[in-house]
Order: sequence, then C-alpha cells, then structure tokens
Amino acid sequence: MIFCSDTPHLPEVAVTILSTNMAAPRVCVPGERLFSTADCEAGPGTYVHHGYIYSCLAGYMHKRKTEGKELSIVEVIRQKEDAVPRIGSIVTAKVTSVSGRMCKCAITCVERTTLREPFRGLIRKEDVRATEKDRVEMYKCFRPGDIVLARVLSLGDANCYLLSTAENELGVVLALSEAGAQMVPVSWCDMQCPKTGSKEFRKVAKVQLQQE
Amino acid sequence: MAGLEIISDQGYRIDGRRSSELRKVCARMGVFTQADGSAYIEQGNTKALATVYGPHEVRKGRGKIQHDRAVVNCQFSMATFSTGERKSRPKGDRRSQEMSMHLRQTFEAVIVTELFPRSQIDIYVQILQADGGNYCACVNAATLAVIDAGIPMKDYVCACTAGFIQDSPLLDISYVEESAGAPFLTVAMMPKSEQIVLLEMNSRLHADNMEKVLDLATQGCKDVFAVLDRHVRDHVSESHALMTAS
Amino acid sequence: MSSTLGVLSDAERLFIVHGVQDDLRSDGRACEDYRHVQVETDVVSNTSGSARLRLGNTDILVGVKAEMGEPDPGRPKEGKLEFFVDCSANASPEFEGRGGEELAIEVSNALQRIFNSRSTLDLTALCIIPEGQCWVLYVDVLVLECGGNLFDAVSLAVKAALFNTRIPTVVVTADDEGQQEIELSDDPYDVKRLDVDNVPLIVTLSKIGHRHVVDASWEEELCSLARLTVGVTQKGTIAGLNKEGSGSLDPESIYEMIESGKKVGMVLNSRLKEALEKEENSKREKIGFLG
Repeated sequence: MIFCSDTPHLPEVAVTILSTNMAAPRVCVPGERLFSTADCEAGPGTYVHHGYIYSCLAGYMHKRKTEGKELSIVEVIRQKEDAVPRIGSIVTAKVTSVSGRMCKCAITCVERTTLREPFRGLIRKEDVRATEKDRVEMYKCFRPGDIVLARVLSLGDANCYLLSTAENELGVVLALSEAGAQMVPVSWCDMQCPKTGSKEFRKVAKVQLQQE
Repeated sequence: MAGLEIISDQGYRIDGRRSSELRKVCARMGVFTQADGSAYIEQGNTKALATVYGPHEVRKGRGKIQHDRAVVNCQFSMATFSTGERKSRPKGDRRSQEMSMHLRQTFEAVIVTELFPRSQIDIYVQILQADGGNYCACVNAATLAVIDAGIPMKDYVCACTAGFIQDSPLLDISYVEESAGAPFLTVAMMPKSEQIVLLEMNSRLHADNMEKVLDLATQGCKDVFAVLDRHVRDHVSESHALMTAS
Repeated sequence: MSSTLGVLSDAERLFIVHGVQDDLRSDGRACEDYRHVQVETDVVSNTSGSARLRLGNTDILVGVKAEMGEPDPGRPKEGKLEFFVDCSANASPEFEGRGGEELAIEVSNALQRIFNSRSTLDLTALCIIPEGQCWVLYVDVLVLECGGNLFDAVSLAVKAALFNTRIPTVVVTADDEGQQEIELSDDPYDVKRLDVDNVPLIVTLSKIGHRHVVDASWEEELCSLARLTVGVTQKGTIAGLNKEGSGSLDPESIYEMIESGKKVGMVLNSRLKEALEKEENSKREKIGFLG
C-alpha cells in the first residue's frame, strides 16, 4: 500500500498575487541574497544584512512598485499565509465575558485567515466608540456570544491583545437575542429580534460589502 | 572494538562509503496536515521527524515571555524502539534534555524571533530510528519543518558530523563508527553565511588534526545544504504547480 | 482528548449532528463507513516488527521488539506482551512533557484489555525455557498525529506490526551438568512468526444525537458525549468492551452499537489481513514517510 500526501490547501490570496505576476516567479529560500539595498527596499519575507536584502522564507519573490517611492519593494510570498494579529489589522472575535470596564473576547480570524486556535483579546470601555467615550455602558454594547469585528490597537500586555471598535464599520456583526434568534440591526446602537420583536442594545457595526 | 576494521585497506568504510562521503539523504516536507510545519528526513538509517507549531501565545509559564522576541521551545525525543537496545522512556533523560537545549540554541540563532514578540514557536523532533548522527538529522529535519511552517529564518541550518579514526578524518559517522570510541565533531552551521552555530566534541583530539576534521565537517554541512535546498525548491514549485492547476 | 485540537461552534455542532441523523457525514461518509486506511509494515529496520498506519489524519507508528526475559511466576510457560504508548509532542503541543501521559495510559489499557484473553495470541509459543526464559514482546506505540479515532488506529497498527514480527529461532541445549544453554540462530531468515488471526481490533462507536457512527473524525468526537470501544475478532467474537465519555447510554442502544461494531469489525479484520498479505507478496520498495 502506498502512502500519499494530501493536497495542500492554498488560500485564494496567494493565487491572485501569483497569477497577476506575468514573468515566471523566482523561487527563493531562506538566506538567499536577493538585491542590494541601493536597488530595492526590503518588504515582508525579507531581511537586511550588511547592505543586502536576503530572503527569510521559502517562496516566490515579488517586486512591487508603490507610488511616490523611487525604489520598488521586494517581498517573498509563501503559499500558506500565516496569521498573527498585528497592530492595525482587522480581526473577528467572539465575546466571552463582559464586565463594567471591559469586554473579553476570543479572536478567531485575522483579516481573511481563520486561526487554528483563538487568541485572547480585550476591548476596554474607552475603546468601544469614538464619541461620548465617557458615557459608554459596556452592558449596552456587547453580550457574551456576540461576533465582533475589531481593529488591533496594540499587542497589549502579556495576556491579551487590545482591540478597538471605535469606527462605524466596527462592532457587533452577529448576535443572538434572548429568545435565541439571530437579530437584525435597526440602528447603530440597537438590534431587533425577528421572533419577539424586542430590541436589545449593541454597538452595531455598519457592515461594508467588500469590493473585489 | 577489536577485530573490526573501520576503514578497509582499500579506503572503504564498513558501509562501503569513502571517507568524505555522506550517507544517502532523503527528505519530505509537509508530512502532516495538522501541524503548522512538518518534515521527515532519512540520513542513511537514521530517521527523524520534526514538527513545528506556532508562532502562538506563550502557553506554559508566563514568566518565559520575551517582550522583544519570540521564545523558541524545543523538545527532543527518541522512539523507544529506535535504538538497538530498547529504551525505557522516550524523553526526559539527561541526554535528551541536553539535545533539546542544543536545538533551542541552534534555532534561536537563525529564526528571526524579533518579528514575533510575546509569542512562542514550538519545534518537536523525534528520532524514529537511530544510526548515528541523531543530532544532525534532527537539525536538518527541523530546518525543513521551520521552512514549511513559513517562519522567517536568516539562513538554513545544516548539521553534520566528522570523526577522526585511524589517522584520517571521516564524514558523517554512523553508529558503528561512533561506538568505535574515536573522537568526532558535531557541527551545525549556516551554509550561506558560513557561520557555525553549534560545535561539539566529547573526546580528545590533537589540535593539529582539528582543522582537518572541522574543514571536512563544514564541507559536509554544505553538501547537506545542497540536498536540502533542492528539496525546498522542488517543494515550493510543486505546490505552485498544484495551485495553478486548481 | 480531542479538546486538545480546538473547539466547535454551535452551528458546526448542529451541522454534524443533523448530518449524522440523515446518515450523511460532513466528509460524505455514511454512519458505518471507515476513512481511507493506509498501512505499511517493516518501516523501522532495527525492530522485530513494525508498522505505520494512517487513518484519515491519524498517524501511528508501532515498533515491536522481542527481548529475552523472565516469565511471570503465575504463568511460567508463557511469554509476555508489554504495551507502551507514547503520545508524542508532534501530535499536539499539549502532549509536551508529561501532557500526553494520561491519554497514553488510556490507550495502553485499552490494548491490554483486548489482549487479555488467552485465545488472542498463543503466548506459549514465546516460551523458551519454562520457568526460566521467555520472549518478551515490547509493543511500542508512537502517536504522530491525532485526527480522531485514535483507539481503532492504534489497534490496527498493533495488529499489522505483530503480523510483521519475526522472532529468531532458538535452540535450547543441555550440557552435562544439566545447565541449559540458549543458542540463537545466525540465519536472519530462520525466524518464527506469530499467528495474529485471533487478534482483535478495537472499533469505537461514538453516539451522536440518536445515532452512532464508527471512525469518528475529531470534529465528530467533539460532538459525541459517549463512546463505546469494542474489541472484535475476525470471527466476530467480542473481546473487551468499554464505555467512555461523560454521557450515558441506555442498554438498548448499547446492544445496537455492539451489533454494528461486530459487523464493521469483522470486515475491518479481513480487509487488514488481505492488505497485509498483498503487501508481503508484492516486491514493492519501502516508501515509509517519503511517499
């Protein structure tokens, strides 16, 4: 009997990047010297040592030109994206507990990649919304079990990431009512249960359709 | 080891190799699906398996957290049936703890840990069959697994042993040659930048011979690198082919 | 045990439970279907017998080493079987250090349970000198990846490794003073093999909703509250039974589960035998982990 490997699952992101690159992509391995820093700028997947850019991943080299910059950026892209929350990235999280000062949640998704295991996140009272920060009541914004979109503010302390929902597009996207039905947003601070018609308070996110 | 000729008069070793020849190296990346990265390597009859998890939150002992870089955590274990004589336990003895420590130091030197502050990277290696050069097989397998996991590294790390038996340096010592009691050197190095990250010798060797043995070992590391490099490139283009086909 | 791998949301759980109810599981199998099994024997050359088995994402390596030892005083004319299970950290970071020990003991107890019966393996064949020396078979199980249904995979791999086990022939001679001497045969082909026809396989039945499934994936294991592990031989005899998990089962469903366990177990036994014999007769080169 033969052993054979499973076909690796590849995210769409990498496919689009590679298919737009017309020239045959160059395979790089860690430690491979790519360019001098005089010719290019180091991007993700590379490091600089003694004036040269080296690859630190095994993958394909990709040169990107950004406006307003003279040098193009070199990056090395792998098939499998690995996700760690970074400052500024949008994460999807599930609320696990709510107290008067803050709300704890489990980060399950970073940008478009689902995590293998959840990271802990924390939304402080003052980071819930951009206006009237002093009048925020946590219990009127989140409930345990809600699915929240949030932005990573900082890597936080040793225990969790600090998140913020202080933008119109961020906040609760999915919530169940007390009757157990999925609620429909009616305003930026209310959601309504389709079963009983009762309204519950939430910091609702204005979900934007992503343009492809 | 009386009566056992390590090198024949014709200059061949017990397994038929010449003094500066490596054993056959076969490798495969991405053996497992659940781990973030995994690799398997065969160097002659020594077989090792490595898996990498992470970077993830620091699990045990929050005291270990480094605020400016990732913690590298290694565990070395040997299958109880891997050696000629059955081992009573796979890990936890002094030798494996020392191996774990050496592995950690080796990989802390090459992984770009500054990119992942407050997180942890786990590297687990397991010897499935032991026939000399266990540490080397582990390092080489772990290198492939780290690359498979997509964790940024400054360079490869390749390891190789070289011994000094019957007045001549020998590359890639097998178990029989190891147990002949002659001195041998274990070297782990970054082949492109030619930096040595680990150097170990547990015996006596005349300083005059040191250079010869070390030169041979570094050459061995570069030979191992050539093989690993080919595997990595093949693996990357293979997954690319799969991707474009779908 | 599968809690080590992650968590399921309510929706995922509901999806699996509803699927099982309709006899269609998330990977397209019916309730009594096994996943694809790949087995290869003789993968570790310095053992008496070895096998690597992959069941879905579960990966098991078993090595059997035959060493000489003293028999149990209670059973002086029999050899011994010793089981040791190592849940390696490769399978899950949770198993690092002593983390895998509890699960390992659970698995080795399950093996002990099904090998307890005297009819399982002819242990008297392992006797060298009654009350003096016997063969001790160390069966070492290494769990390399955990993708659900660990018990079944381990028992399959153990049976394959025992099938592959070759014990050197020994000749006992008595010298003038009545001292017995053991002589090992020099010929590597002069070996004894074990009769594994009566070795049972473990079939785990997981209760999900009102039905039960065989060969649960780890997602399905998370949905089941109670499991029944049944040891089944090729002839359909039940050897060892154990209920696991935090839930409870009513006697009626236990009978049902034993019945389907028996049915599946018999097929599994004959398929494994077929595959092992086929592998032995083919002259294919060993692939091991490189395939």
